[in-house]
Amino acid sequence: MATANTVNGRIERARTELSPTQMAAGALFIAALGFTLLFVQDPLVHDSLHNFRHAAGVACH
Amino acid sequence: MFAEYLTRGVKAGVVAGLVFGLFMAVVANPLVAYTDELNHATVEESGHSHEAESAHSHETEGTHSHETEGTHTHEAEGTHAGEGGGHHDTAVSMAVTKVVSVAAGGLWGVVLGGAFFGVAFFFLEPAIPGPDAAKSYLMGLAGFITVSGAPWLVLPPAAPGAEQSLSVATRLPLYAGMMLAGALACLSAGYVYTRLRESSGSVAALVGAAVPFALLAALAVVAPENAVHGALSPTLETGLTGLFAFGQVLLWLVLAAAHARFRPSSASESESAIPTAGRDSAPAAD
Repeated sequence: MATANTVNGRIERARTELSPTQMAAGALFIAALGFTLLFVQDPLVHDSLHNFRHAAGVACH
Repeated sequence: MFAEYLTRGVKAGVVAGLVFGLFMAVVANPLVAYTDELNHATVEESGHSHEAESAHSHETEGTHSHETEGTHTHEAEGTHAGEGGGHHDTAVSMAVTKVVSVAAGGLWGVVLGGAFFGVAFFFLEPAIPGPDAAKSYLMGLAGFITVSGAPWLVLPPAAPGAEQSLSVATRLPLYAGMMLAGALACLSAGYVYTRLRESSGSVAALVGAAVPFALLAALAVVAPENAVHGALSPTLETGLTGLFAFGQVLLWLVLAAAHARFRPSSASESESAIPTAGRDSAPAAD
């Protein structure tokens, strides 16, 4: 059955539960989020996260 | 069902985000501000001894224009000692940095909760060994290794103001690559454990699961060395590195504990009902 408790079952379940539009929207959202985090190196954003980046162990200087 | 998992993950993320935001506000913010200031003061001190007085003051105006501006406002305010003073080469004031960093700490928890305990857990839950509550903690451990633990083997959290020998352009791909390696190590450890436990017992399975992590450590040894050189005392730098590492461990622990706690009481029933339904329908199909 599609609900079999395996990883493949879960993927199958997500496929039946979510519409293609929902999946596309989700993928786009994650891509946008990742892009923002990776490439928005605007000094304003970057520098205001200075303390946080130290606390998270990702220091860039 | 997917929406339920995502909600549960984000809920755990909110709890962990509150804790980590608090950690940012009361521990990390003051400490980073202080060590930045201390570091900058030491650098300035050594600058004095190396250069002629006039040349030095000229250089201060040229390159550290914002710094002097910061010191100026600090003098004007009079109350916040060194706020923004020790924080050179920056586009924003220390006050803004502090507020944004606390907010980022909260969102960090939500993002990790949603991504790992919402989306990844939904797909991987059947493959994670152990009883239900233990699965949350194993997910937390895997998340920590992926996001922080594995990259830190090569690039441990640096103390504020420390100089690093590798350039940012080298370190970013290295960090991302170690995250990927960490994720692969966790996934393959889980896979090996499940496979070996079926065939050769749990001791062999544990040994087998340790192999990917040994490979990860070997990879970290091979990776390029990043020499960190700071003006702070080595003991203080070790303490700061330890504190920031502890902060991330705490974050993942709270995430896992909250996630285990938010397990819907009906979920354990429906989980066990799914295989039963499958078994019931199988003979009927025969």
